[in-house]
Amino acid sequence: MSFQVEARNLCKEYSGKKVLADVSFGVHSGEIFGLIGPNGAGKTTLLRILDLLEEPSSGSVLFQGVEINYSEKSRQALRRRIGMVFQKTVLFNTSVFNNVAYGLRVRGESGKIIDTKVKEALKIVQLEGFERKNALKLSGGEAQRVALAQALITEPELLLLDEPTANLDPRNVSIVEEVLSWMNRERKTTIIMATHNMFQAETLANQAALLSEGGIEKIGKIQDIFTSPSKALTKFARLENVFSGVSKVSREGTSMIDIGEGVEIEAALQKLGNVSVCVRPEDIIVSVHPIISSARNMFEGRITEISDLGSIVRLRVKAGKDFIVQITKRSFSEMRLNLDSKVFLAFKASAVQLIWSC
Amino acid sequence: MKKPSRILIAVIILAVAVVSVLAYEQYQSSQKSVIVLATTTSTYDSGLLDYLMPKFESKYNIEVHIVSVGTGQAIAIAKNGSADIVLVHSKKYELDFVNSTYGIHRVGVMYNDFMIIGPARDPAGINGLANATEAFKKIAEAGDTGNATFVSRADKSGTNTFELGIWSKLGITPSKKTQGWYLEAGAGMGVVLTMTNEKKAYTLTDRATWIAKRSQLTNLLILVRGEKTLLNPYAVILVNPDKWPQRNYKGALTLAKFMISEEGQTLISNFKKEEETLFTPTARNFDKAHSLGFPTQKQEVGWYDAQQP
Amino acid sequence: MENPLFEALLRAFQFFLYFDPEVLNIILLSLKVSGTAVLIGSLIGVPIGVTLGLRRFSGKQILMRFIDLTLRGIINTFMGLPPVVVGLIVFLLLIGSGPLGPLQLLWTPTAMIITQLIMVIPIIIGVTMSAVGSVEKAIREKALSLGATDGQAAWIVLSEARMGLLTAIIVAFGAAISEVGGIIITGGNIRWHTRTLTTAIVQEVNLGEYNKAITLGVTLLLMAFAINLALTIIQLRGTKR
Repeated sequence: MSFQVEARNLCKEYSGKKVLADVSFGVHSGEIFGLIGPNGAGKTTLLRILDLLEEPSSGSVLFQGVEINYSEKSRQALRRRIGMVFQKTVLFNTSVFNNVAYGLRVRGESGKIIDTKVKEALKIVQLEGFERKNALKLSGGEAQRVALAQALITEPELLLLDEPTANLDPRNVSIVEEVLSWMNRERKTTIIMATHNMFQAETLANQAALLSEGGIEKIGKIQDIFTSPSKALTKFARLENVFSGVSKVSREGTSMIDIGEGVEIEAALQKLGNVSVCVRPEDIIVSVHPIISSARNMFEGRITEISDLGSIVRLRVKAGKDFIVQITKRSFSEMRLNLDSKVFLAFKASAVQLIWSC
Repeated sequence: MKKPSRILIAVIILAVAVVSVLAYEQYQSSQKSVIVLATTTSTYDSGLLDYLMPKFESKYNIEVHIVSVGTGQAIAIAKNGSADIVLVHSKKYELDFVNSTYGIHRVGVMYNDFMIIGPARDPAGINGLANATEAFKKIAEAGDTGNATFVSRADKSGTNTFELGIWSKLGITPSKKTQGWYLEAGAGMGVVLTMTNEKKAYTLTDRATWIAKRSQLTNLLILVRGEKTLLNPYAVILVNPDKWPQRNYKGALTLAKFMISEEGQTLISNFKKEEETLFTPTARNFDKAHSLGFPTQKQEVGWYDAQQP
Repeated sequence: MENPLFEALLRAFQFFLYFDPEVLNIILLSLKVSGTAVLIGSLIGVPIGVTLGLRRFSGKQILMRFIDLTLRGIINTFMGLPPVVVGLIVFLLLIGSGPLGPLQLLWTPTAMIITQLIMVIPIIIGVTMSAVGSVEKAIREKALSLGATDGQAAWIVLSEARMGLLTAIIVAFGAAISEVGGIIITGGNIRWHTRTLTTAIVQEVNLGEYNKAITLGVTLLLMAFAINLALTIIQLRGTKR
């Protein structure tokens, strides 16, 4: 299957400094592709090149198999099929309506159609009624959603996003993520998204490329990237439940790691000495009663923090050490959990991932 | 964005409207007969022209645009083809203008007079003297002994030139350096009078400004006046149509004829400021005109009378 | 000089009550000359200012930078061009013996408009350039990324800079309405025809008619304040929205 968007050996230099070095990857139509990496890795530059705002120093970009020529005319024509949401929200000093309508206005759409479509777009990003408000008076989350509405109203084939939820509160984050899922599902929009939120990448993307210092370290399915150890991954990925400790190899061929506070976790690795590991919140099972299961790790603790993220609830549980866990809202209410509730945490040895060992 | 487009269209319409109104006005004014009269500031500031010209304008349906500048500038404008007629009072500049062939048919119109005013005390003792030059000599002598001060316009105006002319007859070119009693104000007549009043000094002034300000000049009196050398004759000169054919020669001619006509001359003599006549008509008083420096007055007036409209 | 000032203020109000036709003529002429100069100056100066202001976005080569800096330098110099010098130059052009003599435009309101136009254009270009240049680069890129052509993107940058543009026009008008040196030379201060508020004040001061001068001065101040106030309100509304 051929790629809808493809980058071949892209290099970009700014006054002697190499920002992108030999970047190659391809994205299929209808795919959600993540660009992960720390700040300065080159994600923004790469997206700007894909949005035709900049030209690569060498290498080429292909759109549906055709190499892009950077003449003004073809650039402009192609840009109209692509939408982009920038990291720093930029809106025009006018009403929300005018902001969202801009994309259609420059395409010469008629007033009536614009009216309808703007209303639709605002509905999608859950900003109905905001038409008359001045765009510069919105909160960060609202502004970014307007930017999203601006990009989606023109029904682009490809949507590029540069850390779209980087500075948003959880509610806005989830709205944005819902919209992206919807666009990919209903409109089959191809999405390339730069993010440094592993969790988000996992939720949304099918494939991803891990960028570090201008070069691609790994490409492939999200799972593969996250589960294979990599220095680059640790550097940026906001990993949670990261513990350091001393590891001893046990008889069964697993490792027992003393992470402090009298807590020892069993991991399906074989390492000796100082290590750093992490456990993903969604890999931890929460129960009100202790359960007997194949999970090698079980701890008792108390809920110290609750974060309501709509359909999901994140909990901070103090079980000697602090664990971040995640359950569905339904489970949360069914188990009638609350602050200070006693809970039991369980996770398998194989859920413990090695980040670093000496 | 729709709104900016509307603003842009509105601005363009406004601009087009304004430019077309201006163009129309320009066209309209080019249809009207207009003459540019170049004259001196003191002539204009006396108020005579604002009184006389409207009568001319309504009678002949010609607009008179009066540009009042320094004498030198008035002649320069005319020489450079930006005026149709000049009205000045400086024989040197007038003759220069005629000799250059840019000015033709110089004719005397009227005269006003200068007066020497000074403190009521009159330390130089010039009150009632019949000779202006003699009066100036006495002021200089009194000044040298520290009893008198003289304030001069010192601004190269007609009045100033006239004043310096009198000093030169005594062989003096006064300046603050050599004559401590000589103050160079570098200002207009009104300001000079105020200064003279404050310093209880002497100065040379024209009648019109004196009349306008005399109520404020409580320390000063008229000491010498009416003397022949204090007379200030005015001439009207046409701009040569051969040199500047695109100018309104006909209009200028009409105005000149009007000013030296019986009607014009009567109007001039009727112009009063606070009951006092400022200008004495001389166009048809050939003897007087001769004595004021217009040797060919009779011929010129005859020429003007012979011209059509 | 308190009494004359009070008298003058009184007379200024009297004018508004009785509408002295000569003062009305003078005011209308002032508005006509300066207003037209700023209007035409904007139509010429704003597009140039926008083009120059946007030029920063493209061209990183040394040559472009050089041209850019030179242009800016020229504009800044011309912004400080003394109006009376402009008046002198226009006078020498329009005088009978000058290159544009045959047009016989000297001593007309048109000559005054030309004088103020030349004075006002560098100001408008300079301030517009600065206003447009200070609009974030991201705005233009945002517009492009939303599918705008270069022209459409330029228009949105202009729109974002609209408060700065308005300032340019206010500043230009303020400079024009209070200017006197240039227009006295090219207009000739002819009563009823080329006498504006500023040149009329000069005339009245020269005549020693200080009361009249103060009346005209107060009128001019009130006009200038009124216009500045109106435009300041628009500016405030623009940012409050």
